[in-house]
Amino acid sequence: MSALLQVEGLNKHFGGLHAVRDVSFSLQRGSITGVLGPNGAGKTTMFNLLSGFIRPDSGTVLFDGSPLVGLAPHQIVNCGVARTFQLARPFAGMTVLENVEVACLARRVRHSGAPRARAAALLDQVGLGSQADNEVDVLPYGDLRRLEIARALATRPSLLLLDEPFAGLGAGEVGPLADLIRALHKSEGLTILLIEHKLREFMQLVHEIIAMDFGEIIAVGSAAEIVRHPRVIEAYLGADDPVLELG
Amino acid sequence: MTGDRIDWIGALGALALLVVIPLIFGSSYIIGVMTVALCYGMWAASWDFMSGLTGRENFGHSLFIGAGAYTAGFLDVNFGLSPWWSLLAAPLVAVLFGILMGFPTLRLRGPYFALAMLSGSAVMQNLTIIFSVYTGGQDGLNGLTPLLDSTLAQYYLTLGFLAASGVLLRLIANSPWGLILRAIRGDEATCQAAGINVNFYKIASLMISAAVAGLGGALYAHYQLQVGPDLFTVVLSINIIIMVYVGGIGSIYGPIGGALLLNVLTETLRGLSEYRLWVYTLVLVVILFFLPQGAIAPLWRRIRRVLP
Repeated sequence: MSALLQVEGLNKHFGGLHAVRDVSFSLQRGSITGVLGPNGAGKTTMFNLLSGFIRPDSGTVLFDGSPLVGLAPHQIVNCGVARTFQLARPFAGMTVLENVEVACLARRVRHSGAPRARAAALLDQVGLGSQADNEVDVLPYGDLRRLEIARALATRPSLLLLDEPFAGLGAGEVGPLADLIRALHKSEGLTILLIEHKLREFMQLVHEIIAMDFGEIIAVGSAAEIVRHPRVIEAYLGADDPVLELG
Repeated sequence: MTGDRIDWIGALGALALLVVIPLIFGSSYIIGVMTVALCYGMWAASWDFMSGLTGRENFGHSLFIGAGAYTAGFLDVNFGLSPWWSLLAAPLVAVLFGILMGFPTLRLRGPYFALAMLSGSAVMQNLTIIFSVYTGGQDGLNGLTPLLDSTLAQYYLTLGFLAASGVLLRLIANSPWGLILRAIRGDEATCQAAGINVNFYKIASLMISAAVAGLGGALYAHYQLQVGPDLFTVVLSINIIIMVYVGGIGSIYGPIGGALLLNVLTETLRGLSEYRLWVYTLVLVVILFFLPQGAIAPLWRRIRRVLP
């Protein structure tokens, strides 16, 4: 297996804050990798660097061999890297179907079939088919997460970046969403990188975890290794005990 | 019948009404008022296409109108070219201004675009005074050639251009392009995450908007046979925005209706002399207070719902 994404020496400062410090890692094709870390660890900043919303101070990002640093967000999407946002920001005043249809107009997929029909099929795939004609403003929180995923899928990504897909979900919603991500991973042949805090479902979902703290990668390994890693435990101490919670 | 088809029938009905009105009320005064109203219709529709759909408010639409009108004035009065050249040159010059203003400011977040457009039109207004040797200063350029000899023919020509640009803008607004513009209004970052080149669509839409506004400016100039610095004023831009809101923002045809309505209202109230602005303002406040979605477009949607 060759690496789909290769990140080398990524750095980003915000004034005096070193938000992302010398981050290097690679993602194997077809893997599901988690990014774990307490609030302010630099996870979302790293996502913004990878997706082009923020430019790094230094470092390289190779996707399928070609560099991504310096490209605009829409160009990176059209290379095959799609992302969701931690706080879903749908297109207000439009229907659920139209929200996904917009992403079917991206250059990468503009000619892969009628946008409206593709959008409808994607909504069925994420379980929002019955909501297609509703205004997006009335969509409950959990469904917005699914909408975010449908919008990202519409651009036919090979790498999907999910920023805290489980945040704020009720206990009953987490499991089905994890199942959906697992199903999509299988059916679409996706490589997935997802951010989470700490969650049992998350641990079961991912093949490998990258643990971050203060902008740095502090450990990489399987879920079982990570929860027992002394530096990870240290990072979480004072907040709560990850070993106990993650069982 | 599909909703789209009813819309087109409605538009044809409105067009037929505009064709018939001057044949019934044949006075040149009414034809003149209506011709000016048609120009406002083009300005309101073009404002709505860019700003109504994307939500990036343009507070200096008069920049494009003035640019178009003065281009017509220069070519006609200073260079003695046939007035028909204006119809080609005015939109081009307006588009140039669109690129000049849109390229640096539309890429920024926040109010920069609105402020830049506002100052752009104010700067141009002052430049017409400073370079009065060429522009005629406060008096402007006078003695333009009419496009057609009869005012009625000129009215129909303007109506033709309004109808054509209205249909064109409406078609684009209903196409995937329009969907993207509405998505930009919703959230720009999400739009980028959907793989859409947001800056391209904003700048290209501003260019289209400028072209129609500039063309309207040239038609206006060759009807009034005079262009002046008042065509660059902020007041003109604000009036157009009011017409858009009264008509119903984002619908293209609503703002055209708003422009016609408010122009006719202004003329009807002329008899009230100094009380005119009082009544006009009162009508506006009542419309915007009780119908925040506007009057024309929501009314049409309601009519459409009861139609078979």
